[in-house]
Amino acid sequence: MSDLSFVFAQSISGLTAAMFLFLIASGLSLIFGVLRVLNFAHGTFYMLGAYSAYQIVQWLGTGPVSFWIAALGAALGVALLGGLVERFLFQRLYGKEELYQLLFTYALVLILGDVAKIIWGTQQKSISRPPGLTGAVSVFGATVPYYNLFIILLGPAIALGFWFALQRTRAGRFIRAAALDRETLGALGVNVNALYTGVFVLASFLGGLGGALITPMRAIVPGMDTEVIVEAFVVVVIGGLGSFWGTFLGALIYGQVLSFGILFFPRFSIFSIFALMAAVLIIRPWGLLGRPLK
Amino acid sequence: MIRLLTVILAALLALPLAAEAQKPIKVGMPIPLSGPPALFGEPASKGAQMYVEEINAKGGVLGRKLELVIRDSKADANEAVRVARELILKENVDFLVGTLTSAEGPAVSVVAKENKIVFIAPIPKTDQLTAADKLHPYVFRVAANTTMEGRSAAEIVAKWPVTKIATIAFDYAYGQDVTKAFVEHIKKIKPGVEIVDQQWPKLGEQDYNPFINAQMAKKPEAIVSSIWGGFFVTYSKQAKALGVFDAVKYNFIGLGEAGSPETTKSMGADYPVGIWGNSYDAFYWDESSPAHREYTARISKFLKDEYPSSWAVQGYIGMQFLVEAIKKANSVEADKVSKALLGLSVDTPVGKLTIREKDHQANRGQLYGKTVKDAKYPFPIMKPVTYVDPTKFMD
Repeated sequence: MSDLSFVFAQSISGLTAAMFLFLIASGLSLIFGVLRVLNFAHGTFYMLGAYSAYQIVQWLGTGPVSFWIAALGAALGVALLGGLVERFLFQRLYGKEELYQLLFTYALVLILGDVAKIIWGTQQKSISRPPGLTGAVSVFGATVPYYNLFIILLGPAIALGFWFALQRTRAGRFIRAAALDRETLGALGVNVNALYTGVFVLASFLGGLGGALITPMRAIVPGMDTEVIVEAFVVVVIGGLGSFWGTFLGALIYGQVLSFGILFFPRFSIFSIFALMAAVLIIRPWGLLGRPLK
Repeated sequence: MIRLLTVILAALLALPLAAEAQKPIKVGMPIPLSGPPALFGEPASKGAQMYVEEINAKGGVLGRKLELVIRDSKADANEAVRVARELILKENVDFLVGTLTSAEGPAVSVVAKENKIVFIAPIPKTDQLTAADKLHPYVFRVAANTTMEGRSAAEIVAKWPVTKIATIAFDYAYGQDVTKAFVEHIKKIKPGVEIVDQQWPKLGEQDYNPFINAQMAKKPEAIVSSIWGGFFVTYSKQAKALGVFDAVKYNFIGLGEAGSPETTKSMGADYPVGIWGNSYDAFYWDESSPAHREYTARISKFLKDEYPSSWAVQGYIGMQFLVEAIKKANSVEADKVSKALLGLSVDTPVGKLTIREKDHQANRGQLYGKTVKDAKYPFPIMKPVTYVDPTKFMD
């Protein structure tokens, strides 16, 4: 492997990691941006997405499309759960102190984590890569698995779709308006509660989808929820909480810093990320593309 | 009349004494029951539980029942210490058998020393647990240690037609120690080898792609991994996608129980069949003793699993050593039991094991083998599977 192909391979692996993180962190950022709640349980939705996908694959067997049905089904199931949680639990918390919201989402992490353990046990689970995407292609002498390519293409596609929906649709305008001034929006006759539920459902869908799609690359284990939430937080802090493109940028930076960090600090690659986050917090506490909170 | 009263009085006085003798012997078990390490902690605790139930059914030990008090140590050294203290102070346990990670083991060892409580570690492998400067009269290990595991791997890899070797291990006690033991031993027994690359992801890393790319850029002919348990599933999925196993022609050995039935079972067809792995136990280890086959049947029934976990046996053996030592000492006093454990040999399901006097370490070897597909099972197994007895290279 020449130097160039090695650099290329590293950037591809960074890009794959980035697109996964974007899928997950965008939901976290969206909930914060609109609902003003830091949802610790977002990682739990990601974990439930992974377990649900595993469960559906168990039911369907290994057909050519079962993985895709499982991924979509898992994301929809998690979205539904997210909707229920928002409607019956979260709605009681709006306007309360942030500490209560934090405690509540943290309690949700613990409770749902134990529920998952009761249902699926502690043994690690695994899903194969979907048929058709099992191979790899050689680019500039670097091996690039098809599945990684798929993820790299899916990330920007979702980002663009999202951006389009936020900018050009009626619901998107309401969501942006709610992020700026929820009282006025409510006074104008928009059903803010329904809007919040919708946003939460969408964010949970993204988290669940991220969890389902990561299963061909990672083991499904208890504890995967808390691992990912830390990474997602770092991404949104770097990019700017509540900023859509900031999350995208934060994820890209995270992936590349992690990939190339090991060349310079082989044993402290994670350190580079946190150093970067600390630098961002000192220089621009609201994140690279975020807006200062009033 | 007075005589009768005296007899009654004496009987009444003796009652609490008799009750004292009937009080169960309490054994505290701090072990991870949550998070990824629960994969091993849970079955290990079940193995100990089965042994306790079996002993109690036979009337217990020294006429007293055994009582196992299991607590979640969360695979965290601080939590393990807190739980161990609570077991000693609140639950008044007589002994400690437990801990899993190489961070928890040495931490709880300190608590055992302070409280003069015999502590048997069934799983932590770090050499530091029984190293000369850390050793004290109350700590014992029935797990393999990093020296034994690293050297066992070196003995195997030395036979491969390769000279350029790379290693990948988590950057903490276990990963560092086992890699060091491997490198030192292979350089000794096969001086021509060259370690071309070493990768040190953080414990619990989820994205191995950058590490794999960096490693493969150095063109190794063989890879020695100690990415353990569920983490190995994640690692090997990503390594397989990047063509690692083909590139090294399956000259790959996964330490940290990458060959265990739990791991191959969870991956099924995705397992990189053809690599070498190791395991504490294997239900399909057919050429083993009748005692092992019988144990396998019992644990299979106890766990209600056709393909029972390979970790249960560690909890089982830990309890076995404790009970045999109590019998030998004919006492539950820590100092007597601790002395009884020195040089104690026990017939375990995996054969006769002995705790050495010099370092309180049992000669616990592990099963090693090349993984193959087997029509009998829906997942790969190690075949032929060999028990590597570490006795000759423990020092």
